[in-house]
This record gives sequence, C-alpha cells and structure tokens, in this order.
Amino acid sequence: MKGRLLVMWLAVGIPLLWGIARTLENALKLFQ
Amino acid sequence: MSSLLDREHTVAPPGFNRFLVPPAAIAVHLAIGQAYAFSTFNLPLTKLIGLKASAPGDWDLKEVGWIFSIAIAVLGSSAALFGRWVERAGPRKSMFTAALCFGGGFLLSAVGIHRHELWLLYLGYGVLGGCGLGIGYISPVSTLIKWFPDRPGMATGMAIMGFGGGALIAAPLSVILMDHFKTPTSSGVLETFATMGVIYFMYMMIGVFTVRVPAADWKPAGWVAPAQPRKLVTSAQVAVDAAWRTPQFWLLWVVLCMNVTAGIGVIGQASPMIQEIFSGKVTPAAAAGFVGLLSLFNMGGRFIWASTSDYIGRRNTYMVFFLLGIALYALVPTLGHLGEKGLFVAAFCIILSMYGGGFATIPAYLRDMFGTYQVGAIHGRLLTAWSVAGVLGPVLVNYIRQYQIDSGVPKAQAYSVTMYIMCGLLLVGFLCNLAMRAVDEKHHQPGSGRS
Repeated sequence: MKGRLLVMWLAVGIPLLWGIARTLENALKLFQ
Repeated sequence: MSSLLDREHTVAPPGFNRFLVPPAAIAVHLAIGQAYAFSTFNLPLTKLIGLKASAPGDWDLKEVGWIFSIAIAVLGSSAALFGRWVERAGPRKSMFTAALCFGGGFLLSAVGIHRHELWLLYLGYGVLGGCGLGIGYISPVSTLIKWFPDRPGMATGMAIMGFGGGALIAAPLSVILMDHFKTPTSSGVLETFATMGVIYFMYMMIGVFTVRVPAADWKPAGWVAPAQPRKLVTSAQVAVDAAWRTPQFWLLWVVLCMNVTAGIGVIGQASPMIQEIFSGKVTPAAAAGFVGLLSLFNMGGRFIWASTSDYIGRRNTYMVFFLLGIALYALVPTLGHLGEKGLFVAAFCIILSMYGGGFATIPAYLRDMFGTYQVGAIHGRLLTAWSVAGVLGPVLVNYIRQYQIDSGVPKAQAYSVTMYIMCGLLLVGFLCNLAMRAVDEKHHQPGSGRS
C-alpha cells in the first residue's frame, strides 16, 4: 500500500513540479 | 465494465489508505485544468491555412475565442445539471464520464481542425469538453469531504489546487507538442489536439481506478466528531433541492461570484495591464513572467487558504479575502503612480492567491452549512456563479479601461476606476458573508441532526 501511495503521489507530483519549474523560469524575467 | 464503475464496487476495503484519494482527485483536476491554458492554441488556430500568417479563409481570433467561452459556460451549467447524477453514480463513474467527454472533446476538435469546420471545435472542446470540465470538477469533491471529515478544507483544497496547476503543465506541453508535430505543411495543432485527447484520457484513468468511497460507518482512526460543533458547522444534512431554496445558498453564490469577479478580470488583462501601468519599464517577456507568477499564486493559494480555513473557520477565511482584497485593490493605483513595481506585483500575487483560495474553500463552506449528503450536487449548482463571474469580471476590466482611455485618461491610470469598482464588489461579498447564519431546521433531512 505504501509503494502504491508513493507511485500515486509521484504521478501527480512530477508533472506539477515540471510545470512549476517552467513557470518560475518565465516569472524570473519579471525581475531581470 | 459499467459494474466496475458503479459506486458499490468502489467502497474501500478495510485498511485502505485515505491519502490515495487526494492524488486520484488531483490527477483528474490536473487534466481538466488544461482549460486555463487554452489560449496557447488561439493564435495557431488562426493560421491553420496560412501557417506563418492568417490567410483568407482562416478563422479570426474573435471566432476562436468563443471556444474557451463556450467551454467555461458549459462547465458551470453541466456542473449544475449533472451534480445530482454525480452524487448518485459515485466518483469513479463520474470521473470516467468526465475523461470520455474531455478526451473526446479534444478528438472531435481535431476532426474539426482536419475538416476546417469551426462548429466542430465549438461542439468538441466547447460543449463536450465543457461537460468533461464540469463533471470532472465536482466528481471528487464530496468523496474527499467524506474521507477527510477532520480536514475537509485541506482535502478539497488539494484537488482544486490541481485545477490551478493544470495550466502550468498544459501551457508548456502544448508548445512542446506543436513544435514537435510542426512540418512545412502543417502547424502541428491537429496532431497536438489528438495527442492531448489521448494523454489526458489516460491520465484521468489514474484517478478513475484509484478513487474509492469510504464505507458508510467509516471514520479516521482515533477521530471523534466534536460533541459541540463549531459555530456555522452543521451536523444536519440538507438535500440539494432544499439547499438552493435557502438564503444561505444565495449568499454563498454572491460570495463566490464577487470573489471570482475580482480575480478573473485581472487574470485576463494582467499582461497588458502591467505593461501599461509601468510603461517602458516592463517588457512583454517580463509581463508573461508576471502572468506566470499570478498562476503560481492562484494555485498555491488554493491549498494554503483552504487548509487554513480548517483552523480559522470558513466565514473568517472569506472575511480575510474580502477585507484584505479591498485594502489591496484600493492600494494598487497608488502603487502604480509611485512606480513601486515590486509592491504592485506582491499585491496582485496576494489577490490571486485569494481568488484561488475562494474556489478551494467553497466546498468545505458548503459542507459546513449543508452537511455531506449532497454537497457535490450543491457545489455544482453554486458553480453557476463562476459562469456569471467569468463574463462580469473581464467585461468590467476591459470596458471600463476602454471607456477611460476614450475619455482621455492616460493608459497608465486607466485601471484606477476598475480597481475601486473591484473594492465595491468585494464589499458586497463581505456583507453577504457577514450575513451568513445557520440553515433553518425546516430544510434539514428528517432525523439528520441539528445545526
């Protein structure tokens, strides 16, 4: 059950973190 | 197949970890949150024939803009129409239906692009996809509230955060896919629509086959319902047909509508607004960064504010939204005149966090007022406030700005009146929230408890 829990959170966490990183990259331009 | 999707086949076995349910809900919301990034397709859809520039026969931006507007209008109405079915069918069947509609909407739109018939995109992404948005948005809400009676705000906040986060993924993903599929004779939009339809359908299946409903007598280990419920938290149950005849439903409708109106107009106009207010000091690339930053706060606010509401109460959370919102909107024109870019950006980041927080806190507020019995269906009906705000907010910002400019006001100051009008709207929301009282016992389901 713990392994499944980890897989599920990674399945939503990885794409979300990727999206956040891409957005932050853009957002930094505001302060350059 | 249908039996596998039925509510009775999704009851969790003993020992099921309830923390599997939030990622199942987030998977669905991350997918349908793509809607917020639909604008990445707007320009490419106007150059399907000309490729580098619009050619005769290409659709114009106004026509293409209707696809998103239809989808959002259908989102609100389908959530209201299908809310009761979602409660009856259970989360798995409703998430599966949402996936079919949302993925199918993309595929039908791809056919529309292939045949260059715009009405197929209105029907595909707009109507079919819009139904997927509405059903998908409400499908995990009541299940999460039942799994987390100790933290309903945090649980629904996580799922609805996924809707905000969906755009952060979809915007770069759409660009990457269009670049990948681009050829000298094709802009790659058709292939991108078809691919996204399949990807999102598959991704939503993660949620479909993970979600479970708790057994009727299930409670979190060691948790005991408070003997003395907090003020404005009911232990009674109100059915959807009774709920929407109560003044509390309509007060909450106005509360949500005002909160969304104040934020949604800014989202649509954020890029030109910061460039015009700080003329010459903010480049288009930096303005795009501002839009991205607002999206991040919109997403983060959903989880943070909804979780906070579990501790300070739902009504108090909205009090903060309205009072702080009024103060910040009143301050923004002055910050613009003073050239305080950093503070201006910070003010809007907080405003957008409260916009997202408003969406994420409302399911738990509904649960507090009406109980868990048909909270998903009640939430669905309340989302019609979103559809109204989706028209009202942008109209207020765009039309008043234009009126100001036409009256000779410099562009940098054209937003001041709008900001003060937003303060007025938030004051209306504040007064409605202040007027909130417990639902009269005559609306309760027989034998369901007391307020």
